[in-house]
Amino acid sequence: MILNKNYFCIYFLIFFVNISFSQEKVNITLDTVSTNFLDQILVTATRTPRKSSALPFPVQIITESEIKSTNSLRLNDILNEQTGLITVSDFGGGEGIQMQGLDSQYTLILIDGAPVIGRLSGTLDLKRFSLGNIKQIDIVKGASSSLYGSAALAGVINIITNTPKDGFSGDLNYRAATHKTNDIGASLNYKKNKFGISTYINSLSSGGYNLTESEVLNTVEPFTNYTFSSKLTYDLSVNTDLYFSAKYYSQKQDYVASEILEGKSNIREWNTHLQLKHIYNNKLKIHFEFYATRYKANEFLDDNTNGIRFSEGFYDQLLLKPEIRTTYTFSSNSVFISGMGLKHETLDRSYFTLNPIFNSPYIFVQHDVKPNDNLNIIIGARFDSHSKYKSQLSPKIAFRHKLNNQLSVKGSLGYGFKAPDFRQLYFDFTNATIGYTVLGYNAVSTAIPILQEQGQIANIIVPVSEFEKNLNPESSIGINLGSDYYFNSKLKFEFNLFKNSIKNLIDTRVIANKTNGQNVFSYFNINEVYTQGLEFSMNWKPSNNFKLSTGYQLLYAFDKEAVNSFENGEVFARENPSSPSFELNKSDYFGLFNRSRHTANLKLYYKSINSNIDSNIRLTYRSKYGLLDGNGNGYLDSFDTFVNSYIIIDSAINKKLNKNYNIAIGVDNLLNFTDTQNISNISGRIIYTKLNIQF
Amino acid sequence: MKTIKLFILLILLTGFYSCEKTTDPPLNDILSITVSNLYAPQSGGQGQPITGEFTKFEFATGQITTSETDWDIAFRGTSIIVNGGTSLGTIDEPNRTGQAAAYIENGTFVSVNEVDPTLLITDSDSGYAIATGSDNGWYNYSGGPSYLITPIPGKVLVFRTNDNFYAKMEILSYYENAPSDPDSSVHASRFYTFNYIYQPNGILTF
Repeated sequence: MILNKNYFCIYFLIFFVNISFSQEKVNITLDTVSTNFLDQILVTATRTPRKSSALPFPVQIITESEIKSTNSLRLNDILNEQTGLITVSDFGGGEGIQMQGLDSQYTLILIDGAPVIGRLSGTLDLKRFSLGNIKQIDIVKGASSSLYGSAALAGVINIITNTPKDGFSGDLNYRAATHKTNDIGASLNYKKNKFGISTYINSLSSGGYNLTESEVLNTVEPFTNYTFSSKLTYDLSVNTDLYFSAKYYSQKQDYVASEILEGKSNIREWNTHLQLKHIYNNKLKIHFEFYATRYKANEFLDDNTNGIRFSEGFYDQLLLKPEIRTTYTFSSNSVFISGMGLKHETLDRSYFTLNPIFNSPYIFVQHDVKPNDNLNIIIGARFDSHSKYKSQLSPKIAFRHKLNNQLSVKGSLGYGFKAPDFRQLYFDFTNATIGYTVLGYNAVSTAIPILQEQGQIANIIVPVSEFEKNLNPESSIGINLGSDYYFNSKLKFEFNLFKNSIKNLIDTRVIANKTNGQNVFSYFNINEVYTQGLEFSMNWKPSNNFKLSTGYQLLYAFDKEAVNSFENGEVFARENPSSPSFELNKSDYFGLFNRSRHTANLKLYYKSINSNIDSNIRLTYRSKYGLLDGNGNGYLDSFDTFVNSYIIIDSAINKKLNKNYNIAIGVDNLLNFTDTQNISNISGRIIYTKLNIQF
Repeated sequence: MKTIKLFILLILLTGFYSCEKTTDPPLNDILSITVSNLYAPQSGGQGQPITGEFTKFEFATGQITTSETDWDIAFRGTSIIVNGGTSLGTIDEPNRTGQAAAYIENGTFVSVNEVDPTLLITDSDSGYAIATGSDNGWYNYSGGPSYLITPIPGKVLVFRTNDNFYAKMEILSYYENAPSDPDSSVHASRFYTFNYIYQPNGILTF
């Protein structure tokens, strides 16, 4: 409660400061406001084109020019620099996004509006996405299941790729960097009359790097990957457009487990997206879409002393998704959209009890109204039916009120859910060397009797009968309350308070003891967690040459049960592992693992028009966080060991030589920061140079 | 076991009691003892059946014992058994002959000062009174890369002895000489260090 009080104090403080500012400068007109800040169009938040500055949700847009000036290669590079977003690596090396303090599995990642699959252990690896032909990246924060269904608890990130533009053009890129990293890309664009095509090819290879003292293992093993994507557009008639896109991605990486165990790890992914858009009249517009994607991964280890295969694993996921969407424009102040579709998903995976098939038909509606010039209200809801878990209704309501030309307030309240994934339902895995077993929720009732027959179970802790009901989807209620304030045409502030309350969080617990002294684990709904905090950003663009932006996020991420345990004096710690225990206070509870209380960024861009140089320096900060419970009480507390706070500074200089040639040099992680013990995805200083040819 | 240190606390209350109620027999002294490096070896494990003699211990003497009957608790690896109930049936497990029972209470060693007899359970053919496995009983196993066995803070083991007296125990370390910074690749494991208080008067408070 104290926290909440503080938030409201801060909120009202800023509110009144805003009002007092605005009273002094009431004569500033809107015309001047729009001059220095580009107003981007964003489709992701409402599935209709809307100006980002007029939306009732907290949104961020990463533009193509920002991607180019920072020379970012992959999606993780650029997202990590955005306010309130950090990338977090999982044990498998995948790098996912943490948004509003929620894990990677709770943020939906889309390409041109279609969901990407291939979350091996929940994390969607952002390194899979090349930034070569991206028009913009939309980030919508807050629960968004009312439009997108499962996984949009924290928010949605939508990667918008370039569409064919009139004429013939293309470009070639080559970037060479530390760790033998080479990135080669080419794109071609053609459009004449009704027909347009754009094609993009990219190859990224890296020698990997090693932060450990091991001579056999690397932190990141060498890899090579290829991306090929193409988009075709065809205007069937004035009112009918056809669009088809396809993408193929493949990666090969060394997989080394020890001196004698070596193998490969491969990923292949494709997706195709067909869309037909028809405008019936100036009120009714219909989209027909068919999306199909497949993600395949396999890995093996061979024993190189005898050539015998030691282990093998595979993962083969398929998603088919037809959707029909109508947009009905009653008037410029009232737009109604509705849609229905089906998600058909299959997975074939090693260590699974069966090859599951999920079918999930869904329907959604949304009404976007402007009762007057200063007020915008959006109400929407989506219903997801499902063959394997409880159906979900996800409503959302949002408002934006423009108090004057400088100040707006906005708020949204939405429901988000994440369906239990295949692994949480069907996993049946026994570790060969240590001997523990992990069972999916639905696999328990068949696997436990088999283990009992084999005499492997010493005693049952959770009876099998408890697994008869369905596992519930994880769900959240997200609240965002914010304010945008234009101090003048050059200076803009944005402020947002957020709170996500999550129920039925799926976790693992011991359900039986095995006779070998190990345990059987399964998944269950238990925890209630909440993440709350505030986000602040400032953009200052005093001239066309110079731009400064800064952002900050304050985050509290707690497990409710843990808070209660600390309050009730049920949590204990030791000064060192061999000293007597003492009781901890509530103030000793730090919160969830891998969450930093403070994250911040500062970016400076300078463009010299005369010399055709643009340069930038970007700084990101992350305060201390904990990765594991070191003192055995199950919680992260002030007597645990923390990962120290750190700062990463990146800088780039780009020069346009002439109409066709650009060169760039840059340094990422200028301070050469590494934490070899705790952070595997920061490799130290990276120096690069880049050549770009446009024609 | 020459490293056992014996501290005897004199109970001043005895004097007061004897003034008021002269008919009561004088109470015996409560024992507060730290046991260091009680070695509890085992064979097998890692998927193989666990074997090996349990190391038996008696609270009243503060010593290990080889007696078949006069023991209270016994240790093998991370397993702790009591001399009460029935055997789980593992290889080399001793027969239960006494009245011993146990439960685990959350608290500090000082704050747990009374036995709740309703919570006491004996070993049985389906499991031990002190549950085995990481986070089920007295310890946490960290897994890789450190592979450490650490006593969970705030777990006080409460025992009824073989002959119906009571004791409370806090395990401090599973590694030889109770290092303050244990390292499973350096320090030998299966060496218990623990504090216990033994109440020799048959009453439920410590």
